[in-house]
Amino acid sequence: MRYNSFTEKLKNYFTGLGDRHAGSRRFLCWSYKQLSSITTSVYLLGLMALFFMVGTIFPQGGSIDDYIKEGGGFVFFVKLFGLLDFFSSPLFLILAFIFFLNLAICTYERLLVLQESPTFPKSYEPTHILMLAPDFSNAHSELRNAFAKLKFKVVSKDDDWTVVEKGLPYKWLTWLYHLGIILCFLGFILTYLFSFEGTITLKPREAQTLVPDTTGRIQSLWKDKTGQTDFHLKLDSFHTEYAEAPELDFPKDKLSRLAIGLGWKSPDYEMKGESLTAKDWRAKIKVIKGSGTLAEQTVEINEPLEYGNYTFYLLGFEQNFRLSVEDNPILLEAKEDEDIFIPGLGDSIKFGTFRSGTLYKLDGTIEMLKPYTIVKHTGKDTDEELGRIEPGAIMEIDGVNIKLVEVEESAILSYRYDPGVGILWWGGILVLVAMALRFYGSWYRIAYQVTDTASIELNIMTRGLGSSSTKIIKSLEKHLPITKQS
Amino acid sequence: MSSYDLILSRDSYLLAFELRLFWSITFLYGLSFLLFAFHILSRTPVLGKAARTTLILSVIAHTALIVLRTFEGGRAPFQTLYESLSWFAWSASLTFLYVSRKWKDIHIPGVFVTVLAMGACLYALLSRSPAVEPLAPPLQSYWFEWHVILAFFSYAVFVVSASIEATYLGVKPLIGRGAEAYGFSSDMLEDFHSMAFKLVLFGFPLLTFGIFSGAAWANEAWGRYWSWDPKETWSLITWTVFALYLHAKAIPRFKGLPASVINIVGFICMMMTFLGVNWLAKLLGVPSLHIYAV
Repeated sequence: MRYNSFTEKLKNYFTGLGDRHAGSRRFLCWSYKQLSSITTSVYLLGLMALFFMVGTIFPQGGSIDDYIKEGGGFVFFVKLFGLLDFFSSPLFLILAFIFFLNLAICTYERLLVLQESPTFPKSYEPTHILMLAPDFSNAHSELRNAFAKLKFKVVSKDDDWTVVEKGLPYKWLTWLYHLGIILCFLGFILTYLFSFEGTITLKPREAQTLVPDTTGRIQSLWKDKTGQTDFHLKLDSFHTEYAEAPELDFPKDKLSRLAIGLGWKSPDYEMKGESLTAKDWRAKIKVIKGSGTLAEQTVEINEPLEYGNYTFYLLGFEQNFRLSVEDNPILLEAKEDEDIFIPGLGDSIKFGTFRSGTLYKLDGTIEMLKPYTIVKHTGKDTDEELGRIEPGAIMEIDGVNIKLVEVEESAILSYRYDPGVGILWWGGILVLVAMALRFYGSWYRIAYQVTDTASIELNIMTRGLGSSSTKIIKSLEKHLPITKQS
Repeated sequence: MSSYDLILSRDSYLLAFELRLFWSITFLYGLSFLLFAFHILSRTPVLGKAARTTLILSVIAHTALIVLRTFEGGRAPFQTLYESLSWFAWSASLTFLYVSRKWKDIHIPGVFVTVLAMGACLYALLSRSPAVEPLAPPLQSYWFEWHVILAFFSYAVFVVSASIEATYLGVKPLIGRGAEAYGFSSDMLEDFHSMAFKLVLFGFPLLTFGIFSGAAWANEAWGRYWSWDPKETWSLITWTVFALYLHAKAIPRFKGLPASVINIVGFICMMMTFLGVNWLAKLLGVPSLHIYAV
């Protein structure tokens, strides 16, 4: 095994240090030997799978107090092993580190093997025997020509056996996707150590500076939070698209569903109430510095803005309603779907989602929505709908006049600093390309010899799903007068 | 009648037709399963052939159903769990028919595939809403189709691989003691079994791409490529178990029964990723970001 080369170096190093380090020497050599073994990989992969499972059984990110309050069990073990933040716990990190070492050492050892010149056995066990026509002469050269036509290259030749090869170098491809996984690991490590994130709410036409209230694990060693950015963000406009979505009147009980299958009942689509669903929302964001605009982009859910080491994602929106009651100049503020108490009214009321923007109608037409929201009386179980109100309009509720003065729509952005993403994608691409070529491609090594009895003995070794020894035999039959094969 | 009434009655009619067709397909999967089961119990090859023919009919009808659903929704038909279950049943059955074309006298693996297909269809029909809904904003991404198609393709391949593996484990002790009635002989059993390994080899890069594309998509939509969400974690568990299987196949000590067991464990993990995780999340109160797939 190749690991001997490295363990030899270790041995030599410790021998130089004297007998005092003999124990350490043996332990290090043993550890290296274990970590360069594929059997260790099997055990570690099994352990990793078990550890991942643990992380799906216990709710991640919650506090231990909430966990106990909600009746969670195994509290002693949960505390001991940090099971509520398991993927950041020392237990998991130690296992992940050992697994990474195993992966890195195996990849290194494999590289050493790949760099060596290949050796070939003296003889092979035939997997196929091809009988040639009795009058056929010069089999050696004809066979060589046949393999050359099939684009095989001679890699070894002695008196008896000739070895030819063709196809993608599968050992290198295997090595490459393992290297890709190492790169992905490095990406994870960078993310774990340096990344941080937060949210920022952008109000319309107000420039705001990003002031993170946190920082990455490594940065937190010398500072509590990352400094504010030297640029500002401005929400230029916010636009929502709606689609009319009819509701389906469909039974929940299983027998009625079976009745639909048998044609005894029918499902019905109906337009009920608003029947609107948010199809998309977009925020036009400007990055500004002084009086200049540095960048400008319409951000959507799947289209973030990247600027200054940060990526900004559109997380959602927030709606604030300003109301005046009985023409009182002091305005009341309310948020979407939150109770508000109005002086003079016994019960609280609430405002539904403010609808404005483009409406994609069921009949295929598109129209701009006349902005409105729905006012509801807050009930114990269900809310009672009082009606629609548009900006600037007045609604009388139980004798009290309420005017919707203004609606402000803000964009909620999440921001993230993550230096691990780039290396992770490059690693991912390497993994995918090398793995696809290795698994779906083809590679052949054929050892052959022509015997005295006018037959060809072949030892065919294949790798990859694209390879087929039957295909190769059929191709050889086209070039050689083969009478029989076994 | 207004244009809205016309549209609503048209959509209602199409959905009613779709549901009747879906129930018929489920019945055919069930019939195919029963025929496969009777073939195993009675050792009658003709029942196996009848089961296979019934399955072919089911898949043809299911293909029509998938096309109809795509037409109804105007998008790829795997947004909701109802649609995903249908797609899963169809892709697993289709993959089984394609893979098994080389050994037409062997029918046992069909019993596993058809019971899964029937179970998935019944779950969709009895417990999920068939409403056609507009695509949710996070799903409006070019990653959506790639991520789901490749992940489900890998699921289908793993289902067939597990069915071959289970058949192999069941039939191996019967070689020379009646396995011939099921179309097996001692010289072809290992060749048949090698198909389970080849299928995992085929499915593993697809699953890898499924996970990477999911991470890339999450990075665009949620701002994090990995959140240790239960579905993400279970997909990683499935990947790890199949990586374990591929490594075990390279070690003489593990390449026999242990590798076969790992392959079946991988299939169970895959089912956990697809369905079990939703149940687990509900049971344990663990929130999931993949809520639209529930």
